[in-house]
Amino acid sequence: MTTYVQTAADDPDTAPRPPDSDRTRAENNLARKLVAPALILMLLVTAFPMLRALYLSMFDYSLTAPDDKEFVGFQNYATALSDWLFWRDTLTTVFIMIVTVAFELVIGFAFAMVMHKVIFARGVIRTSILIPYGVITVVSGFAWQFAFSYQNGFVNSWLPFIDTDFNWFAERNSSLIAIMASEIWKTTPFMSLLLLAGLAQVSNDMLEAAKVDGATWWQRLYKVILPNMRAAIMVAVLFRALDAYRIFDNIFVMTAGANKTESISFLTYRQVIEQFQLGIGSALSVLLFLSVLVVAFVIVKLFKVDLADARQEN
Amino acid sequence: MAVRSVRRVVAGIAATALSASVLAACGSGSGGKASLNWYINPDGQVTLNKLAKDCSTDDYNIKIQLLPASATDQRTQLARRLAAKDSSTDLMSLDPVFVPEFANAKWLLPFEGEVADRVLDGVLDAPADIVQWDDKVVAAPQWANTQVLWYRKSLAEKAGLDMTQPVTWDQVIKAAADNGGTVGVQANKYEAYVVWINALIQGAGGNILDPATVEKGRDAKVTINSAAGKDAAAVIRELARSKAAQPDFSTSNEGTSLGSMFPAKGPGEFMTNWTFVYGNYKGLIGKPGGPKDEEGFGDLGWARYPQTVEGEESKPPIGGIEIGVGAYTKHPKFAQEAALCVTSDEAQSALAVNESFAPTRASVYDAPAVKKVFPADLLTLFRDSIDTGGPRPKSAYYSQISSAIQSRWHSPTSVGPGTPKKSASFLTAILKGKALL
Amino acid sequence: MQTDVKSKIGTFVGVAVILAWCLLPVVWIISLSFKSQEAVTNGSPGFFPSDGGGAGWQNYKDVLDNGQFRHAVFNSIGISLIATLLSVVIATLAAYAIARLDFKGKKFVLTTALVIAMFPVVSLVGPLFDMWRTFHLYDTWPGLIIPYMSFTLPLAIWTLSAFFREIPWEMEQAAQVDGATAWQAFRKVIVPLAAPGVFTAAILTFFFAWNDFVFGISLTSTEKARPIPAALSFFVGQDPFNRPASLLAAGAVVATVPIVVLVLFFQRKIVAGLTAGAVKG
Repeated sequence: MTTYVQTAADDPDTAPRPPDSDRTRAENNLARKLVAPALILMLLVTAFPMLRALYLSMFDYSLTAPDDKEFVGFQNYATALSDWLFWRDTLTTVFIMIVTVAFELVIGFAFAMVMHKVIFARGVIRTSILIPYGVITVVSGFAWQFAFSYQNGFVNSWLPFIDTDFNWFAERNSSLIAIMASEIWKTTPFMSLLLLAGLAQVSNDMLEAAKVDGATWWQRLYKVILPNMRAAIMVAVLFRALDAYRIFDNIFVMTAGANKTESISFLTYRQVIEQFQLGIGSALSVLLFLSVLVVAFVIVKLFKVDLADARQEN
Repeated sequence: MAVRSVRRVVAGIAATALSASVLAACGSGSGGKASLNWYINPDGQVTLNKLAKDCSTDDYNIKIQLLPASATDQRTQLARRLAAKDSSTDLMSLDPVFVPEFANAKWLLPFEGEVADRVLDGVLDAPADIVQWDDKVVAAPQWANTQVLWYRKSLAEKAGLDMTQPVTWDQVIKAAADNGGTVGVQANKYEAYVVWINALIQGAGGNILDPATVEKGRDAKVTINSAAGKDAAAVIRELARSKAAQPDFSTSNEGTSLGSMFPAKGPGEFMTNWTFVYGNYKGLIGKPGGPKDEEGFGDLGWARYPQTVEGEESKPPIGGIEIGVGAYTKHPKFAQEAALCVTSDEAQSALAVNESFAPTRASVYDAPAVKKVFPADLLTLFRDSIDTGGPRPKSAYYSQISSAIQSRWHSPTSVGPGTPKKSASFLTAILKGKALL
Repeated sequence: MQTDVKSKIGTFVGVAVILAWCLLPVVWIISLSFKSQEAVTNGSPGFFPSDGGGAGWQNYKDVLDNGQFRHAVFNSIGISLIATLLSVVIATLAAYAIARLDFKGKKFVLTTALVIAMFPVVSLVGPLFDMWRTFHLYDTWPGLIIPYMSFTLPLAIWTLSAFFREIPWEMEQAAQVDGATAWQAFRKVIVPLAAPGVFTAAILTFFFAWNDFVFGISLTSTEKARPIPAALSFFVGQDPFNRPASLLAAGAVVATVPIVVLVLFFQRKIVAGLTAGAVKG
């Protein structure tokens, strides 16, 4: 999933204004009416089910034995948090998140540099780069699963040092490589477009000046380009990381969680939809939501992502 | 200001959208004749479609709805509908292992009185036992499935294996490995892997759960950590480390090893697989993946499921399909009547002839049409295997049990002497609701 | 200059790499869709169909003959369009207020949208299933359209308010000063300026609805409402034990065609929409 950063709604310079005049009151009223449907709907489809999950998570509740529903307090949370499986899947998810975002960042940046420089065939390149973005994740999962298949794929015959009957989906590491390949393929274009927009902001004058001063290509990259793009990079990383943390589709299609390739989303899905354990499943839903908040918080603090900075307001 | 007109437009569009979706949601109503939905598995579609047509009457039409291919997905799809108290789930094809769970949740409409007698009339013991829960007949057996050992006669001969006598897993694996052949099994992380594990354990005289307490649900006694469990683990370990293991061993399923029987190069394989295999190769004579000609087909051999321990009779897996009637159907009488029709002798005979599915009624094994299609010794083998086979644990918590086993026994390459113990403690925790699956 | 030549070659190679990256898997899935189902069942490694292992258009015929898949295409188009329409309309109102009007709580709306866009959809599946079965929304179109709002609405609000802020709203007043009525000013001046943004938001929203998988598999169970991604994952071919790779590939190509067409026609706008506001540019 993608999201957008944009200029702050309330510009600081308009903040101090005279106490409620009729006009501002009318504007306030109109605005509330216009915003209300969207706000109510958004809360209705997320906050409401989330509260329901919070409630259900206090019960031992299985759909296949509805009569045995029983209040158990926080026991489901204790069970989940004391289970190694929960932590193993969390680690797997974090691992996938870090590796895919790192690759996407490096490759996406390289792509952005090329697109920034290229003069010919811009339309063709931009159209092509949007195609992976538009392809359904499930389709991407299938394409890569079959590509890695030793029975019908081509990867084994194209890669040297790999036996033609090497089964990528037989163990954990190679399965994770296949999953991450699909994930990286599909999302790198989005990363590169965000970085391209950031690249467009690096002033050419500064680059020229650095060139005149005799800076090498690497020096220009490290001293001029990257620092000036910092905000754009951080925002791109934040959004992609949160998206990667929710990885589900590729795992479902490619391994169905076999060989310890399960993500935290997949674990939750299995409890709820396959096992019908709505009690512990709801507890996991709540934990999943909280862990997304934690990841977001950590990234924002660790990299000092400043959304306002990204919008060049400071 | 334009806001007012915008609001009107919004209201209009929303109304159109809603009415469109409501229309789409209830477009299936038809006047007069009742329509019964029958949820079927993908195997045997052609014959099942024909059965649905033949069993439709002046009162109702049977409409086929296709379920996904994996047993887990089939269960999930059906259970979600039934948990939603769906009245359009009239008939459903059920894997035997899900019957207790569905019956326990009261999702199946029991057959009663004389109808129940007709359901069980002449049915072999094993399939008859499957459809009974809490002293009620909750489904109608449609066909039975069992696994036998399929092999290339030339390969067995080269290895010097006497296939007229019972063979053990150890012999089969060594025979294949020493002669360039392979052994085909089902060891992906899915239901059929548990089929294999269960058969291996029972073949050594053990059980995953104590049969005396298995029907007690969460209070069943876990007995997988036993000598039999260790014997089973040893077989899996041996194959995993043998040259005879196929490259996709840990992701293998019923379909993946079919191609290794008549490969372009090599002597073929030994494979434990269901009854459909016979019809499969017969239909592939002269085609890629099948025998070259009739003579090549003649090289296909079959024998009873291999023994886990030498001298102890093997317990071939039992599968098949039971027809359940949804508890919330609007047409209970019609649905039960239809269930009887699609499980009748004629229906079972058609399934046997067209799809190589073994019948559940003893009499159908003697039907001329069936006898014409299968060699006599193969029919006897099927029937004996079903009669003396071993079912998987008959528990309302089967799907959790199965997932728990899968999680500790997969990947098969990691199975060792400690696996039964690990899986026993995990299974106990799962049944008590003390661990995550 | 030597460095110039070098950098030109570098750029050229870079372009080649980008094109290969983006198109190779797509070409692969097209190539796979022309392998015959028999060849795939027996194993047919390699990028292109082997000799005698080609299927011609057979897989496409089979896919389009498949009633379940046809239903899925219909469901996906219908559900995605309605979800897009609803969310763009509702988001337009909100985005107009955010971009144009001054009001308290503006930041709250945007933050809420951002948080909700980051929401793990799997978290919603359990409670939604439990609620839908009591409301009889399970396995229906509205049963998918409503939860789709959880990601399409925030997306549309953010994109649209970014676009709307670029609109020179003073022009409306200028037109009114010139004698146009309020309605005329809106229709002739503001609508043409806002339309591209609304349109772009609609395309992006459509992409997201079209891509949904989690809700699609969890909240449906028959062809009545099952969308394409879910239908593809349950696809069954002649061999019930293995995924019919080439048939699936044909289905995947069919599912991808609408997206590629949209991309081809609206490439420039989509890029603008994707990066809108992420950085001013």
